[in-house]
Amino acid sequence: MDKDSLKGLERLNQLALTPQQVDDTLAFFQLRQAEWDALAGIDTSDVERMVHVAPMETVVREDVVSEPFDRDELLEGAPDAMDGYWQVPYVLE
Amino acid sequence: MYIALDDLILTKDLPTTGGSLMLKGYYSPFDAEVATRLTGAGHEITCKAAVGEFACDLLGETNFMGPTVDVDGNLCGGDIMVLMNNDAEAVVGLDVNGTPRRSAAVSNHICLKTSYGIVSRYGTIPLACSGESVYVTGVTSATCQDVLESIAGHDPKDGTSLPQERCVAAATPGEVPATVGVCRSLVEAAGPDVQARIQKVIAKLEARGVRVEWVDDSMLLAAKPAWNILMPAELCNNVSRYDGVKYGYRSQDYETIDELYTNSRTEAFGDVLKTVILFGSDVLFTHNYLAKYDRAMRMRRLVVERFQELFAQYDALLMPACSKLAFTPADVEADKFIAFQENLFTAPASISGLPALVAMGVQFMGPHGSDANLLRLSASLGACAWKEV
Repeated sequence: MDKDSLKGLERLNQLALTPQQVDDTLAFFQLRQAEWDALAGIDTSDVERMVHVAPMETVVREDVVSEPFDRDELLEGAPDAMDGYWQVPYVLE
Repeated sequence: MYIALDDLILTKDLPTTGGSLMLKGYYSPFDAEVATRLTGAGHEITCKAAVGEFACDLLGETNFMGPTVDVDGNLCGGDIMVLMNNDAEAVVGLDVNGTPRRSAAVSNHICLKTSYGIVSRYGTIPLACSGESVYVTGVTSATCQDVLESIAGHDPKDGTSLPQERCVAAATPGEVPATVGVCRSLVEAAGPDVQARIQKVIAKLEARGVRVEWVDDSMLLAAKPAWNILMPAELCNNVSRYDGVKYGYRSQDYETIDELYTNSRTEAFGDVLKTVILFGSDVLFTHNYLAKYDRAMRMRRLVVERFQELFAQYDALLMPACSKLAFTPADVEADKFIAFQENLFTAPASISGLPALVAMGVQFMGPHGSDANLLRLSASLGACAWKEV
């Protein structure tokens, strides 16, 4: 990871780091890479991936009608709302 | 019983911030399932306990309002502060990166991180969903047991919730563990105060007639680097929902929609969280996916398989919960990412979904569903927050 690549990650994640945060983040990446490299001797090629630690027996809910959340109640948490919608800057000129 | 919820549990009547400026003043439109179950069982929810920003730090120090420090000047989690102030008899929250277990260890409280899937996570702020689970912290094992019985159970609203009979079995006390393996590598990685505490606990176990043996736990050391990949990757996706539009903080400084997103997240998120997001995003990139994220999931299976081998021989494992028994604000000033070193001791339970119990400043782990048995073990040792070990 270098500063240019990190800049790309910042854009992707909609963040903007200060120079100090850039240095700290690059150091964090190096530490994580070093601890990961220390496991290089462990062969995982024949090991099955473990996505879930518990068996997923039922992942589909019963198909029953339930009461949805109230729109006005949901919008109470919004920083800005208008006419029952979230309010944001114009995205089309 | 008077119970506090940590600030990752959504409640309609109390604000939920997740420790982040992003959610300052946020009220959820619904209660989390654990909150509903607690009140349904006759408990009273008294307050929220502060957490570090989205719970990936050492001891809550990244909370947007600042760290929680006890009278001795040491860091302690918001959950412990609530208990010490007698604002509640127990705290229920979400263990994401081991913070509540470290809090309990440094303050000599009892903390049970429940087996994955036995307590609903519906209405908890999702962060590292493949490993996080609900915890209970209290002064005695009996308190934690009472709370566990109130909250364990199948919840159709949580896709990872286990069948009712497995949830009930985990919360029902069975045999007190009679054989305990001591994790050699993890103990050797801890500081002298923790090693001395482990020896004291071993002596207590042996005095109770428990067979104690040292075991080879070298494979468990892989849990930390693997969790340090899986956890940020999941967290990065989960916090992408915070964009300043739907709820939470919005920057006042923007003209375009892109500036609204970027400035809101940049102003609201703290340093540690930003770094974790970026790292998590990087390990999911195409060029890193197989070498890191995919391999971390395979590493998780190796760790789980090693646990299965050990639990075929021992009823419980004993290990540290952290490298030392006191942390000061200076520790996190010297290394703001210290939690990603200290989770050497908490990642094995996080990545495997197994239950972990912190008592007397040390950590016990058991097979999946042995939650109540671990509490019986700590009770049999006389573990209590106000009692010197």
